[in-house]
Parts: sequence; C-alpha cells; structure tokens
Amino acid sequence: MFHILLALADGERHGYAILKEVAMRTDDKVRLSAGTLYGNLARLEASGMISESGNRPAFGLDDERRRYYRLTEFGRSVAVAEAQRMEAALSQARAKHLFRKTETA
Amino acid sequence: MNATKSNGGSRSQKIFRFILRLLPFDFRTNYEREMAGVFHQQHREAEKQGGAIGLVKLWLETIGGIFRTAPREHWEILRQDCGYAFRMMAKNKGFTAIAVLTLALGIGANTAIFSVVHSVLLSPLPYRQGQQLIYIRQQARKANVDDIGFSVPEIMDYRGQNETLSSLVEYHVMSFTLFGHGDPDRVKTAVVSWNYFEMFGVKPILGRTFTPKDDEIGAPAVLVLTNEYWRDKFGADPKVVGKTFEMNDRVHTVVGVLPPIPQYPLETDVFMPTSACPYRSADSHIKHREMRMMEVFGRLKPGVTLGQAQADLSTIAARLESQYPKFYPANIGYGVSASSLKENLTHDAQPTLLVLLGAATFVLLIACANVANLTLSRMARRERELAVRTALGAGRSRLLRQLLTESLILAFIGGVIGLLLAYDSLELLTKFAARLSPRASEIRIDAGVLLFTVLAALGTAIVFGTVSALFSHANLTSGLKEGTAGSGVNRSRNRMRSVLIVSQVAFSFMLLIGAGLMLRSLFKMLNVNPGFQTQHVLAMRVNVNWSKYGSPDQYALFAKKLVEKIQAQPAVLSAAVSSSYPLEPEILAGGPNSNGFQVKGEPLAPGQAPPIADTVFITPDFFSTLGVPLLSGRVFANTDDAKAPPVVIVNEAMQHRFWPSSNPIGQQISFDDGEHWRQVVGVVGDVHDLGLDHVPDLQAYEPVLQNGGVGTLVVRTAIADPLVMAHQLTRAILDVDPTTAVSGILSLDAARSDSVSTPRTTASLLGVFGALALLIATAGIGGIMALTVSQRVHEIGIRIALGAQPSRVLYMILGHGVGLALLGVAIGLVGALGLTGLAKSLLFEVTPTDPVTYFAVALVFVSAALLAGYLPARRAAAIDPIEALRCE
Repeated sequence: MFHILLALADGERHGYAILKEVAMRTDDKVRLSAGTLYGNLARLEASGMISESGNRPAFGLDDERRRYYRLTEFGRSVAVAEAQRMEAALSQARAKHLFRKTETA
Repeated sequence: MNATKSNGGSRSQKIFRFILRLLPFDFRTNYEREMAGVFHQQHREAEKQGGAIGLVKLWLETIGGIFRTAPREHWEILRQDCGYAFRMMAKNKGFTAIAVLTLALGIGANTAIFSVVHSVLLSPLPYRQGQQLIYIRQQARKANVDDIGFSVPEIMDYRGQNETLSSLVEYHVMSFTLFGHGDPDRVKTAVVSWNYFEMFGVKPILGRTFTPKDDEIGAPAVLVLTNEYWRDKFGADPKVVGKTFEMNDRVHTVVGVLPPIPQYPLETDVFMPTSACPYRSADSHIKHREMRMMEVFGRLKPGVTLGQAQADLSTIAARLESQYPKFYPANIGYGVSASSLKENLTHDAQPTLLVLLGAATFVLLIACANVANLTLSRMARRERELAVRTALGAGRSRLLRQLLTESLILAFIGGVIGLLLAYDSLELLTKFAARLSPRASEIRIDAGVLLFTVLAALGTAIVFGTVSALFSHANLTSGLKEGTAGSGVNRSRNRMRSVLIVSQVAFSFMLLIGAGLMLRSLFKMLNVNPGFQTQHVLAMRVNVNWSKYGSPDQYALFAKKLVEKIQAQPAVLSAAVSSSYPLEPEILAGGPNSNGFQVKGEPLAPGQAPPIADTVFITPDFFSTLGVPLLSGRVFANTDDAKAPPVVIVNEAMQHRFWPSSNPIGQQISFDDGEHWRQVVGVVGDVHDLGLDHVPDLQAYEPVLQNGGVGTLVVRTAIADPLVMAHQLTRAILDVDPTTAVSGILSLDAARSDSVSTPRTTASLLGVFGALALLIATAGIGGIMALTVSQRVHEIGIRIALGAQPSRVLYMILGHGVGLALLGVAIGLVGALGLTGLAKSLLFEVTPTDPVTYFAVALVFVSAALLAGYLPARRAAAIDPIEALRCE
C-alpha cells in the first residue's frame, strides 16, 4: 500500500505505470500483479487515500482504457505519517547502533 | 511471427479474463479493462525479456494475486451487505418480524413433518442389512383375509422347504402376569424363535439372548428384558441378569437385556423363547395346522430378490395346498405373500404423511409469496434510495446481490426459529405418528433433517429473493423519474403483487379444501351411531393370573364374584365382565377374536370357507351396561352356565344374513364343526367394535359363565367422569383376587375419542396449516387493496368530482379484491380437484369432490376478501375530491 502511495507522490499515474514505478524503485523486490494492484487500488480509493484523476494526457497519447490515479490530501498525510513512523524507527535503530557494519562502511 | 504472437497474446488474455471471473462482479466492471491492459503490457514485456521462464513467473504471480484478492473482495462485500441488511431490518421492525415469523412457520412446519417422513418412510431400518428383512403373510384371498397368521406346522414347513431365506423366525405377543417384583405386573411378552435377535442383528447390552437349547420343549424358562422395561421397572439395575421371577407357574430367569432398539411390530416388555409360552409349547398348537396365531419374519439370502423369495414361498404354498386339502380348501384362495419389512411397517403411514408434507410445502410456498409481497411493497418505499445508489455508481448486480443477502439473512433467522418450533413439536408428532407406524420411536431431528432445513431456508431465500429482485430490477432505472414513468412501473409491480396474492389464495384454498374434507370426514365418523352408549362407562383390562384358573368353571366363578362385588360399589349402576369391549385399544391394534362357524340346516359345500363372526364372551349385564339395544329374544341370565344348554346371542347383521325372513330365536349355530350346537336366544344391535369407520360385520356373544373368557370389566356409573372411580374399582378387583393385574383403565368416551385420534390430528394439522394460509392470504389482499387505493387517490378523486357515487367507488374497490380472491379460488379449485384424489384413502364417507366442502371453503375465501377489502374500500369512498386533487 505504502509503495503505491509513494508511486503517486510525484504525480498522477495509471495502473501499469504504478506497477513499473514500484518495481523499478525497489529493484524488482516488490512485484505487484494485476490482481493485487487493483485490489489495493480499490481499497485505497474506498478509504479516500487516492482518487481517479479527471486530467488525462492529450487525445491520442492516451490509451482509452487507462485511468489515472492521484494522491488525495488525506492519502498524502497518511503516506507522510507512515514515512515519519519509519524514520523514527530507523533513527532509534541507528541510536542503538543496530547497523554497526554498514555504519562503518 | 507477429501473427502468432498476437494469437498467443489474445489467448492468454482470454485465460486471464476467465480467471478474473473469480472477482466480484462490481470489481470486475470497475477494473477489468484496466487489469487486462496491465496484464497485456506485462505479458509483452515478459515475453521480450524473460522468455518462457518470465511468462511462467508472470502467470504464477498473476494467478496468486487474484486468488489472494478475490476472497478479500467478496468478504468485504458480504460484510457490507450484512451490515446494511441488519440496519435495514432494525429500521423496519414490523416488516422484519412478520417476514421472519412467516418464514419460521413455513420452514418449521416443513422441518417437523419432514423429520417424521425422514425417520418413518425414508431412512433404512435400524437393523443389520435392514433391506433384507421381510414380513411373510398367509392369506385367504377369496375370503378377503389379508393375514391369517401361521401355525407351528406351517412355520416348520416354510422354514424347512424354502431355498431363498437365510433365516425364518416366528413372533407372537402374549400378556402374562409376572410375580416377584412388587405388585403383580402384567407384562407384554413377545414369544420368539431362538434366532430372532440373531436374524435382526441385535446384540444384548447385558447377558445373552437365546440359544437353540432355550427353544427346546421343557428347557428352563428364560427371559430377555427390553431396554425400556429394564429402565422403568428395574432402574437399569446392572445386576438384573440371573434374577428369577414367577410367571405362568414357572420360574423364569432373566438372561439378558436388549439395547434401546425400536420394537417392531409391537412394543413389548420382555421376550421369551417359544418353549416358555404355555400356549405355543402345548400339543394343541404344535400338532395342529389350523391353530394359527404366529407372525413370521424372514431374511433374504444375499443376492436374492423379494420376487425370487415370493416365487419360492408360493411354490411351498402350492405344495401344502395339494398335500393338505382339508386345511387349505380351494375356495378360500390360500396363498402366501412376502413384503419388505420396511414397506410393511410404513405403508399405513404413507398417505397421511405425504399429504401432510404436501400441505407443509404449500404453507412454505405461501410464506414465500407473502414475504416476496412484503419485500415488493417495501421496495416501493426504497425505490428512491436504490435509484440514488445506482446513480452514485453502485452496479445493478451489486444491489441485487445485496437484496439476496437480505433474503438469505431473513430466511436463515426464520430457519433457526423454525427449527426450534419443529423441535418443540417433536413429542406431539411422535405421539401422532405412533398410531400410523411402529417406527415413530425413531423420529428425531438428525443431520438429514438439518440439511433439509438448510436447503428449505436456502430455497426459500432464493424464491422470494429472486421474485423481489427481478421486480426491483425493472425499477432501478426509472426510480428517479418519479411520478412520470413511475406509474408504469407501479403497474407492473402491482401486477406482480396480484399474481402473488392470487397464488397465495390458490394454495390456501387447496389447503383448506384438504382440511375441510378431513374435518367433514371426522364429523361423519363422530356422528356414526356406534351401537352403544359411551357416557358414564369405565372400562379396564382385568388380567387374571391364568395359571390359577384351570377350567372355564373357575373363570366363571371369578367373573360372577367380580360382577357382584363391583355392582355392590356405590355409584355403580351396572357392571359386566367380557373378553373385550367395543373400540378397546387392544382390539383396534390386534384385531378381534374371529371364529368360523356354521348354521344348522345350512351345511357348507365341500371346500367352502365357513362364515366368520367376531366373538365376544360376556356376563349377563354387558348389553345394559353398554346400552346395546336388544332387538328380540332375551339377554343371558346367570342360569346360562355350564350346566345349562349352550346359548348364543347374535347381532342384527347376522340375522339379516342367515334368517332374513324367519325367526332367528331357537336357531342353532356351531363354532366347532358341528361338535357342539349353540341355540340363538337373542338378537342385539350391531356394534362398531373395530372403529367408528368400520362397518360392523357378523358378531356373536357367548356367556362367560359357559366358556370363560375373562378379559375386561365394563362399569356403568352414575358419575359424569367415571375415571374418578378407577382407584376404588381397582381395589375392589384386588379384593376378589389379589393376583390380578389391572391395566388400561379408561372411560369409553376416551376410548371412542382415541379411536379417531389419527384423523383428528391429521384434520387439525391441515386445519392449522389452512388457517395460517388463509390469514396470510387475507392480509395480503388487504395490503394490496390499501396500496391500490393510495396509488389511485387522484383518479378516484376525479371520479367522485365528476359525480361518481361513493357507493360505486366502494363496490369498485371491493370488486377488485373479490376478483383477485375468485381468480385464486378458481385456480385452487382446479388444483384441489387434481390433488385431493390422493387423499381419498384418508376420507370416510366423504368424496374428494364433496360439493359442500368446496362451496363452504370458497365462501370463506370470498368473505375473507370482502372483509380484507372493506377498510381500504371505505377509505376510497370517503376520498374528498378537492383534497385529492390539491395533492397534485
């Protein structure tokens, strides 16, 4: 879910673009399939974190069956809150010198 | 190259879209195209980059993803729908209560009746390989006697000569008095072959059953207790085996206790081997081919069909017929017949139970129609809500799915309550079914019945859910364009509601016809003049310790002393001892004491079967105690004893048959092939001894003082409820002989009423079903009329404004309701004429097309429709045209 929100953070995207963005950003570690992607999109849409965008690329550039999704304000704040939570966890882990090896490297 | 690629692509698209079907419809409508697009691109990419391995990986991921997503999405929808449904139900408490109650009654009635049908008719006998068990009868077909019983020599012949049975056992029931355990106890004793239990596959829970040695004449007498008797009388004492009791002047040792098994064909207390029964082991029975009193069961050898066994047994019958022409005269139509034990135990119950199951199904259908109707009218109010939701993007199928969820929830709540109702009525139904089949003790609600209830609830939900969903379907699009297109939709929905009402009326009509016919049949039975008077008479069985009484003289003495003692009691008007009394439960269950006889001067042609009379032994005051009219001659006197010439009293039917124009008094008849002749001294009225619906046949009465035959005591009292004298009379009997066991004390009124309990219960069940149906249908008519009036306020207002008389408006609306009812009655009439033929065997002196019943029931329906339509019609007639038009 977080990955999808992140994928939309810098602009509207259609489904396939979200899937590609997530795969690229995570080095193919998070691979979404059509089913899981749209299952999550439906959930995010229902809870109001994303919405369908009315804006579309100019006629002809657009594949007709594509819908574009964008992050809502609520979605953005949820993503920020999650990122902050992770950041806090990370800095606590650092304070405890959890990553001794990587730190020195 | 390109072509094959796109081919492969389109095939995988097809497969992908096929898998997508796992997802909920709405999800698919929303995302299917996009998902297909995404998959298409992934597919192309995987093909380009990873080749075959990449494709396999993609497919695995894709399928896995859908399999993970689908249940979540479905569950989510179900959760929403249930939540929504419960909120709706809470908001419409009245609707919910009526719908649930209607469904509960419908499903409950079906579950209850089905539990009986399931246990009695459908499930296999609870014995090892129950389908191999058969019941064998000897018949006198030309004399219309279905079951003449078996004698010992005949049992030996059939057992020794058959080639199709692995075993053949005999059975008869006797009542003996058991001493050594509190008061003398009268025990119903089944006398059976030693391998009886082995054949049925019954193993004792304590001790043993019988061995071949027990069956030898002169073997020490042994008993096996039934589970019920062991629990009731011995408190389930585990040390009962080895205990001894005195019975028939012999010591009997308990050797075993049976498990709790249903007992066919009769419930008994104990079992004994044939050697222990003083009658069965006597020479008179062992040597005489015509001493028939046993029943016979058999088990088919593996692989043998009933037909083969029948052929085999018929061969033996033919052989016996030619071997012993004296015992099997040609014109009695001697034959033997084998039927499956299950069929034999259930065929009496079948018509009644199937009629009741049919009736219960009707009730459920009516309940479905009613709930569908309620849902439709609620739908009218929800139309805007549903239309708004459609407009906001909820798919139509999503809404239908939600309606079905609501129906399912209603049906399942109804089902659970119905199950409780059924569970509650089980005891009553078991009692009822016990009169129809010995299998009644097996009735319970088991997994099969539960499955039936679940299916009934499911079917119910689908039936009424679909009807309501189909008709909301038409409305969803037009719901917002209210007022304009809405009226057309209203019309189609009203038409549907009318169809539902008409079908409710039709089904209710059929049910009420059934109930009406049964009721009329019951009244005819109750109005039969039984030939005796039941009021104020108390009857009981007097089981003398027969081993104390050797000769008829001793019985006669006991009877005389007993009658004197009883007649000396306060409030006793008269009393008599007899071998049985009319409508006695034991006679109804076990049949009368029938004897062949001949009339002096009318010798039988060689091979001609003698006429048969039901014979009762009585003391002099029998007729006055029961109020049986003496038509000519005299009743017996105390002087008609063993020293006096043998006498007999006959009934009217006998006089008509043998002496239609001459005086029967002084004529002579013989019950023993002319060895002794009895002189007819009196003629009495016919008595319905075998059931109110049973036309009395030839009946003969002989004096107890000449023949013995002490079985029952009948007492006419001066008290309205003679039962209050039961204790006093029992004490008096024990004063005369303390070793007597008294049982079956009941008033003759009760005996008469009990004798019609089966038709009464059937009639009341059908009546309850029918009344329920009538109520539901009437409420339905009232409801639709009210709705019609409220929808037609404008039109009626205009009519009244234009000068229509209020009374005309009243008649118009009433006519509408009555029209619906009449249409339903007409359809129900056709159905009833077709169906009631099936119930013919349950009716007494009423034809299935009895015009009185049909007319009365139709009248009830029309009056109900008038009543239901009256309030809405009055409201219509009172419409103020100005008000009505201002509403516009």
